[in-house]
Amino acid sequence: MNMSSGELLNSKAGPGSVVKAALKSLTQEQIIVLVTFVFVAIFSIFINGFATVGNLMVLLRNMSVLGIFSIGMGIVVIGRGIDLSQVTTGAVSAAWVLKLMHDGMGITSAILLGLALVLLVGVINGYLIAFIEIPPLFATLASGICVYGFVRHFLLELLNNHYVPDTCKDFLFLGQGKIGGIPMPVICFGLIALFVHLFLSRISYGRFIYAQGDNEDAARITGIGVRPMKVLQYTLCAAIGYIAAIVMASSTASLNVRIVDSTLIFDVVLVVVLGGISLVGGRGSVLSVLAGTALIGTLLNGMVIMNLGIAQQNLVKSIVLLGAILLDTFLHPRDEETARQGDI
Amino acid sequence: MDQPKKKRVMVWGARIICVLGLSLFISNVAVAAEIAGISGSSAELHKHYDKSLRGKTIGFVPLALGSPLMGSWDYNMRKEAKECGMIYKVKDPNWNAQASAQAISAFIAEGVDVLVAHNMNMQLLAKLLRKAEKKGIFVIQINMVSNYKTDVFVGADWYSIGLRQAERVLKHCGKGTGKSGKVAIMQGELTSAANIEQVEAIMSVLKNHPEIKVVSSQAGNWDSNIEHDNMATILKQHPDLCATIGIWGISHLGAAQAIKEAEMTDQVLVVTSGGGSVQICDAIEAGLIDVYFNYQSLLQGHDIMAAAKLLLQSGLEPGQAKIALFSPVFEITKKNSSYSCFPYPFPEEMMEALKIDYPFLPISE
Repeated sequence: MNMSSGELLNSKAGPGSVVKAALKSLTQEQIIVLVTFVFVAIFSIFINGFATVGNLMVLLRNMSVLGIFSIGMGIVVIGRGIDLSQVTTGAVSAAWVLKLMHDGMGITSAILLGLALVLLVGVINGYLIAFIEIPPLFATLASGICVYGFVRHFLLELLNNHYVPDTCKDFLFLGQGKIGGIPMPVICFGLIALFVHLFLSRISYGRFIYAQGDNEDAARITGIGVRPMKVLQYTLCAAIGYIAAIVMASSTASLNVRIVDSTLIFDVVLVVVLGGISLVGGRGSVLSVLAGTALIGTLLNGMVIMNLGIAQQNLVKSIVLLGAILLDTFLHPRDEETARQGDI
Repeated sequence: MDQPKKKRVMVWGARIICVLGLSLFISNVAVAAEIAGISGSSAELHKHYDKSLRGKTIGFVPLALGSPLMGSWDYNMRKEAKECGMIYKVKDPNWNAQASAQAISAFIAEGVDVLVAHNMNMQLLAKLLRKAEKKGIFVIQINMVSNYKTDVFVGADWYSIGLRQAERVLKHCGKGTGKSGKVAIMQGELTSAANIEQVEAIMSVLKNHPEIKVVSSQAGNWDSNIEHDNMATILKQHPDLCATIGIWGISHLGAAQAIKEAEMTDQVLVVTSGGGSVQICDAIEAGLIDVYFNYQSLLQGHDIMAAAKLLLQSGLEPGQAKIALFSPVFEITKKNSSYSCFPYPFPEEMMEALKIDYPFLPISE
């Protein structure tokens, strides 16, 4: 499913240079893995202390939260959608969990209440997009702002900074604990990646998401319930985003809902697109997210060690994103199959 | 001239001089009282206070409400304005630069009497603040000053805090301590006044000490997650890091957590500053932060109101005064952390105080 019949036709018909043909034989995630290796090699040579087990573990740990968010987003993008409310929903719900714990609620019940809120938002997102047929970009942009305002005003009492209270120190294990020397965020990332990989590749509902993302009308004709499937995708995306936000809150023992205004959601889209989950839908896998996360993680880690500021880091990230989108257009050119109505 | 006559003349002369001196003194006092617009009585003084303040509006534009720092300014301004019969309004741009400028413009259009601005960076509001003063509004800037200096600046003396932070680091990592001398600086926003002045001060001290090496100086946009991740990377790169200086305590908690995760709290001296909310004292007691320069944000809220009252009663025109009220700074360490912070979110009893309806005497004519 990585290469559509339209592209095969294109590559046969076009003049096609040798480089293009060679590149075409690689999937985008393979290219990204190669690029990552190139960067790792360069950094290992030029930056002292980059290629150590300790640093690579930190790299992995630092990228875990972004990686978890991106796996959730990946599911939606494979189904030819996008969820711009993911970070917002996750962050304000996690902040609410901290607030509930601060007000005296137990860890489990607070986390479950937060999850209920997130699932509700996911279902509403899915309903707006699948049944009312609002384009996902607008639906989730609006719902994100709406959820932010609602939760901040009614549930968080307009407080921005939330802290893990002393009574709930066990909560910190999720973000700061270690099992067998491996940090918990990395374990969470690994487990979620494994589950979503099995879901997308081994379970029929997961396979149907590819069918729907590739050609929604054809999927519907074959008898797949496309609308309920979309609700499922947005709910899963929100729930996975929630896990990421909980891990994030736990690792700094606090959460500032200002994260909503940061560029985090764009970093998530960057990782997803970079790894080869094309915005045209139906392509890529969890492995793509892992590849994208690895590249961005390597770049960020190297830049932090080189003492580059956040402005320079954003510049490099944006150039990489632009490159990835160019590569995407180059590898998946528009044809009568992909250039359809309803682009996000 | 015989002796008694000479004596009489001298006594009369002394009497005349005394009377003249006394009358001159009385007339001076009368003139001074006239200048202030009041005569001697306490009632008159109270009337002057009431007339100058009651019904006047004070508008506040913070970066965002809901954090201990800005929340405590808001609290004290709200409470004290109500107590003296002023009207307090706040517009919360919630970290959005454009919304911040819009809120200031809206206050200028509404014609508030005093405007309190918290600048996101040094340029953003400069023109608007000048415009406000031209329109006859007193402008007070809080904590982060703009390129354009207005009537009053209330806030931390960043430069002095930076110097004190650097001195503490020198004491811990400098010559003769046998430590690596490696220091990380966790900056906030590169364009904010607090950041610029504090980092400048820190560097002015450290550059004279070749044994100190600043191994990292990066901006984390006041985000504790970024500070956490950056610190984790730096610690792997420099496992012998000696100290870290954070510009804002709340976001520096992220870096402190990373140091705790790496089990290096005993080795790395964590120095930072802020308004002094309870989360910081908890972190100091837990050993996450070692030295904290507290500029006491609750007092800053009071200072803003004191400045506003002073301006409104002074008879000055907006733009005439140039006053700085630098906040007193207390150093918090483990020794005094049990009693040096204020609770946040504010407890019920404190919030109740905002609901009191204060009795006002009518202003007598």
